[in-house]
Amino acid sequence: MSTSSNGLDLNELRDRWIGVEFDWATFEMDTTQMLAWAQACGEVDPRFIDPEHEDFQAHPGFTTHCMSGRLFPENFPQIGGGFGIDGGKRVDAHAAIRAGDTLTATTTIADIFDKTGRSGTMIFIVQRMEFRNQSDTLVSTVDWKMIKKAD
Amino acid sequence: MTEGLKFSEVEIGDDLPEEVPDVSLSSVTAFCKAASHIFDRFLDHEAAQKEGFPGAIVPGIMSQGLLAAMIHKWAPGSSIRSIDTVFRGSLLVDSQITMTGAVTDTDDESNLVELDLAIIAEDGRTGVIGTAVVQLLE
Repeated sequence: MSTSSNGLDLNELRDRWIGVEFDWATFEMDTTQMLAWAQACGEVDPRFIDPEHEDFQAHPGFTTHCMSGRLFPENFPQIGGGFGIDGGKRVDAHAAIRAGDTLTATTTIADIFDKTGRSGTMIFIVQRMEFRNQSDTLVSTVDWKMIKKAD
Repeated sequence: MTEGLKFSEVEIGDDLPEEVPDVSLSSVTAFCKAASHIFDRFLDHEAAQKEGFPGAIVPGIMSQGLLAAMIHKWAPGSSIRSIDTVFRGSLLVDSQITMTGAVTDTDDESNLVELDLAIIAEDGRTGVIGTAVVQLLE
């Protein structure tokens, strides 16, 4: 399907919005928070639960809690009905995140697509946040799938 | 923690040991504080019921973290390169949930394995499905 039920052309939307940067934010990586996250997840690997370990680092999904200031770019059209639901997250861990790192995140729309199933047609909007540390090394990419009903 | 799992010790079809993680209210509350993810639906059964849930629910990002911890228990010293989870249904706080995983692919040039992951709710529903790519020790 290339046109949603409210008349939006998904191909046109993809051409217009995918890859456009629309939010920038900075996050400080805090030892206590990193440790508490890993412990609450039941982690046993000392790289994640022992701040004295030489390779102490954030749990792989730690950046998923770092939210951009905006969900969508300014002037992004209303797609589908309502706020939508959280469809899940993908994390690519490119390099270790260390306590004390300052991460700069850039947010884009990575994809817009639809799927039709028993519940009708759903539109998926994928928000991507790329996190770079103070050395400009890409350390983490988080793709957040937001699902909206087309009707 | 046991010695690291080596790539040569893994085959397609291997199951990860099932895990029953702690999703008690105190554990979920600790996670929410660490994640600055303070919402009543995760922290208060009555408040969650008012929002239409059967009770407080486990945050999706915590379920992903629980799966990551399971992978590290199975393969100490491994590095998760990617983890992709789909939230299919609610997992309730203070319930017994079960995490499973299986090896679905291997790449002997890079020591990478691909895993299928799932979390099953106490009532048998599948709450989370996912995949991960993990680098094992040589």
